[in-house]
Amino acid sequence: MSRTSKARNLDGPALKGAQTAWDMLSEEQMQRHITTGCEELDAILGGGIHCKEVTEIGGVPGIGKTQLGMQLAINVQIPVDCGGLNGKAVYIDTEGSFMAERAHQIAEGCISDLSINFVHQRKDSISCPERMEPNNFLANIFYFRICSYTEQIAAINYLEKFLEEQKDVKIVIIDSITFHFRQDFDDLALRTRVLGGMSLKLMKCAKKHSLAVVLLNQVTTKFVEGSFQLSLALGDSWSHSSTNRIILYWNGNERYAYIDKSPSLRSASAPFLVTSKGIRNVTSHCKRVRMM
Amino acid sequence: MVPVIEPLNPLHLPPQKLTLGCPVLDRLLRGGLPVGSVTEIAGESAAGKTQLCLQLLLSALLPPSRGGLSASSLFIHSEFPFPLRRLRSLSSSASLENPLDHIFVAAAHSPYDLLSLLAAADSLFACPPTHLPVRLIVVDSIAALFRSDFDNTPSDLKKRSFLFFKIAAKLKEQARRFGSVVVVTNQVVDVVGSEEGANGLRLGNYACLYSSGRRVSPALGLSWANCVNTRLFLSRSDEVSNSSGLSRTRRRMQVVFAPHLPEGSSEFAIVRDGVFGIDH
Repeated sequence: MSRTSKARNLDGPALKGAQTAWDMLSEEQMQRHITTGCEELDAILGGGIHCKEVTEIGGVPGIGKTQLGMQLAINVQIPVDCGGLNGKAVYIDTEGSFMAERAHQIAEGCISDLSINFVHQRKDSISCPERMEPNNFLANIFYFRICSYTEQIAAINYLEKFLEEQKDVKIVIIDSITFHFRQDFDDLALRTRVLGGMSLKLMKCAKKHSLAVVLLNQVTTKFVEGSFQLSLALGDSWSHSSTNRIILYWNGNERYAYIDKSPSLRSASAPFLVTSKGIRNVTSHCKRVRMM
Repeated sequence: MVPVIEPLNPLHLPPQKLTLGCPVLDRLLRGGLPVGSVTEIAGESAAGKTQLCLQLLLSALLPPSRGGLSASSLFIHSEFPFPLRRLRSLSSSASLENPLDHIFVAAAHSPYDLLSLLAAADSLFACPPTHLPVRLIVVDSIAALFRSDFDNTPSDLKKRSFLFFKIAAKLKEQARRFGSVVVVTNQVVDVVGSEEGANGLRLGNYACLYSSGRRVSPALGLSWANCVNTRLFLSRSDEVSNSSGLSRTRRRMQVVFAPHLPEGSSEFAIVRDGVFGIDH
């Protein structure tokens, strides 16, 4: 850390805003990640979902994309004392799958696990889990329901302004980025341009406000050399729009997550469970959040 | 037109559910079918899909205190004929004086038909002809609309998939705008080969779905599966009792996937008065 001061002189007029790689590394290490609720999944993600990055999560219907989305909207709110970010969430629902009753259950599960892990905490502390209310977790989710692709574009344009006002937002979840773009577009070049513009804006928001952007995506079958193969929707033009890409898939009767693309993470896979409390470890004895 | 974009507090989202008209099945679905989203009911023919839909039409008329929506409904059918007699006999037990006055029925013969019907239905929802709002939309069935006119070629599959998303987007918009429950029934296709699901793909809680002893999968493939929020599966199997030698049909409702429900299933029966879950 002492070396950061040496690098100050780099910050001349020509390179305003530039950082040394060392600065970036120490900043990265200081950065907290948003836990998925599953330790094994957090481990392959390098601690959880990263702020300042766009993470795309794809998988078949029923694998748990929306579950993970709702879980992250809750987990981003875990207090700093408990190892969280104490942030708020923006949930852009394009499919109508967000269910308040389920988010409430996940919030309850999150609070009850925090209570188990933080029994020794002082009872008068603000972040004492016994004093947390699931409804407060829900109220800290800014929920947008989108019914067309024009609304989706408008919402993302509005997001830039909204995030200027709401500095506490630490995660933006779009569930899903794809749905409204899979209808017939008369002009496919237009679709590519619109999607490109949207992904640029989201990347900018992630960097500028140090927040995580999570894009849920559908999978589709693609006809390749006479047979059908699974691939993420929206095709190749979209595949550059995210920093990390995670694929959720079935392995027998178990749900797994696989890191398909990332500049900094090793490709690896980890099993996860969707329980009544939310996303959890397959092995039950692990503690969900470690004491920081 | 620039749409108005404003965030909502999830605590203020409508929590309403539409009862299935049976406490056992409602328990499986945590109170019934949610407003604001699309529920698919898939099953082979004679599994009980239409029976359940007819029951929903009557449930919608009930006041919220009894699990209903105090609402009329729109029933779009692509299977013929429309089961008017059955609806009439079910409605005899309804509380309202003329329940059939509040059920609007339309026939669709193609996906394009359905789209224009739904577009026209906007005015039905905005200005309902009776004193009750229209808050239940049933499409029975989506698969029948795609039975013909589409080949198994990549370009036709693409065209078909565009239509799925267009139909689903319209239904979801109406579900959202009018606080409606949307139900779409779907047929099943046989699964051949040993791989999981159709095209070796598992969707949802069950590695395989069985009905009448055959391995089946909801029709219309992966694209359509992406279009529904909740998928329920109705199965049937004929069992011959050892003692009496009579055969009887056992039916089951399974939650294949849903954003708000765990894996679960319930046996049910179709009797004169309707569809009822069996508590074990």
